[in-house]
Amino acid sequence: MSQARGLTAGLLIGPATMIVLGALVAPLALLARYSLNRYDRTNFMIEAFTPENYLRFLYDPFYTGVLWTTLWIALLTTALCLLLGFPIAYRLARSQSRWKSAGVLLVILPLFIGSTVRALGWMGMLGRGGLVDSAVAAASPGSSFPLLYTPFAVVLGILSINLPYMVLTLQSVIEGIDARVEEAADSLGADPSRRFLHVVLPLALPGLATGSVLVFILAMNAYATPLLLGGARFQMMAPMLFREYAVNNNWPFAAAIAFILMVTTLTLTAASSAFVQRRYKAA
Amino acid sequence: MTGAARSSERGAAHARVSLAGMLVWGLIALGVLVMAVPLAMTAYISLFRDAVVIFPPSGYATSWYARILEFPRFGEALGTSLRISALATLGSLAVGIPASLALVRYNFVGRGVLNVLLLSPLTVPGVVIGLSIYVLVVETEIATEVPLIGSDLVLVVAHLLITVPWVIRLCVANLVGLDRSVEEAAANLGARPLTVLWRVTLPMMRQGIVAATLFAFIVSFENIEMTLFLIAPGQTTLPISVLQYLEYRVDPLVAAVVMTQTLVIAGLLLLLDRYVKLSRIVS
Repeated sequence: MSQARGLTAGLLIGPATMIVLGALVAPLALLARYSLNRYDRTNFMIEAFTPENYLRFLYDPFYTGVLWTTLWIALLTTALCLLLGFPIAYRLARSQSRWKSAGVLLVILPLFIGSTVRALGWMGMLGRGGLVDSAVAAASPGSSFPLLYTPFAVVLGILSINLPYMVLTLQSVIEGIDARVEEAADSLGADPSRRFLHVVLPLALPGLATGSVLVFILAMNAYATPLLLGGARFQMMAPMLFREYAVNNNWPFAAAIAFILMVTTLTLTAASSAFVQRRYKAA
Repeated sequence: MTGAARSSERGAAHARVSLAGMLVWGLIALGVLVMAVPLAMTAYISLFRDAVVIFPPSGYATSWYARILEFPRFGEALGTSLRISALATLGSLAVGIPASLALVRYNFVGRGVLNVLLLSPLTVPGVVIGLSIYVLVVETEIATEVPLIGSDLVLVVAHLLITVPWVIRLCVANLVGLDRSVEEAAANLGARPLTVLWRVTLPMMRQGIVAATLFAFIVSFENIEMTLFLIAPGQTTLPISVLQYLEYRVDPLVAAVVMTQTLVIAGLLLLLDRYVKLSRIVS
């Protein structure tokens, strides 16, 4: 009986497992092997077993610079998502109004709308001849104020895409915090800032961690936003990887970039989860 | 302490609170603007009469929406997108629902490992998945001499990889919340396992399945990062053709294209929200 059940379970879960093994595990193993090959201008790729692609990345200030840019953009947008997301999530969670569900829906809708839509809007807003530029030129003729193709535009673009994810994650966590705990703090004489720092924040910490990890990963892997809003001189990891593959045809190096991006992202998210878990247990 | 001193102290505390309150409302307004401005801007640009984006526009017209189909690059790309997304959605339901049943209803060796493995595609960067599938497909092409790059088969399998984890995640969450005793009652009353599945379990999973269908379709339809590596000339998806267009120019036509796409998706979501509460699904 239990063997039959085991067989059934295997049949049920088998196809999904085959897809992940065949389309993720096997390709990643092959890509890892590629990352140790050597690039050659005429033959494109020569079988080898060398760490030189990784060393080239780590010793070239240009590439490490791109990694740092990606990291600080991801960290900054994550921090801004927390700062702007928390008040909205709190208001939504504690709202008794009949507009609440409409508000939640308005935050959900952008999740399903592609990043190109947001990028297009910001391009019209910030570009040369865009709304801001035209307004500045109208106010003081002769001057121009193009904000497009700056790190500012990229941060704004990523923020507008990631903020709804943060708001939704935090909202569901805050809904789970019993409002009576806050009322108790209130009636015991804690003012709003103390109530926030000593009651709401510690209770919401796991949600803050989940939301931060989510938006951090999204920002690290952003492709369309840095490409369209950052311009040619601004580099982040995902567009750079695509260029090495498509323009330079350097697959071994693109493979090495892929693993550096993946390992950096996974290490940082694992470390932050571990840190929060320890804090949470101690508290 | 005199009454006057006490009341002035309370007044100071009150002023501090309202200052903090204003700051919070300022943050909320800023967050809402960051989310809303790019969408509003795209909608605004799509109504410009001229083909160039200048502020203020010379006039407004809705003619760009009517002219979308005159541009075959978007029409063909939309066809490809719909075909790939529909196939990937159906496939991911066929594979993902049985897998979630196995994960929740069966106890077998390696369940924990499989659970992590099946959700792992969500944590790997899209560009990394795209590049790795591409190199595996190239190796397979060389070995078998069957042309695969740009084929529907490769695109659908790749999209299965990113949609199956969502189906599993949503269906597992749904199954965990279901009352098992109904299924047991049916079994006790003599229903065979398949009858229980078809007449009891699947109908009870309706909410999860609807949510999974929606998510799978949208995740597949909006994907850029992974798909970028797997397309071929003449086989482009809509978000990628929009991205490629935006790299060279921003005009009301492309704004009308993405607005149409946005409105269709928003309409689907609103329709769906009447049957299943979206806010409960997402968080």
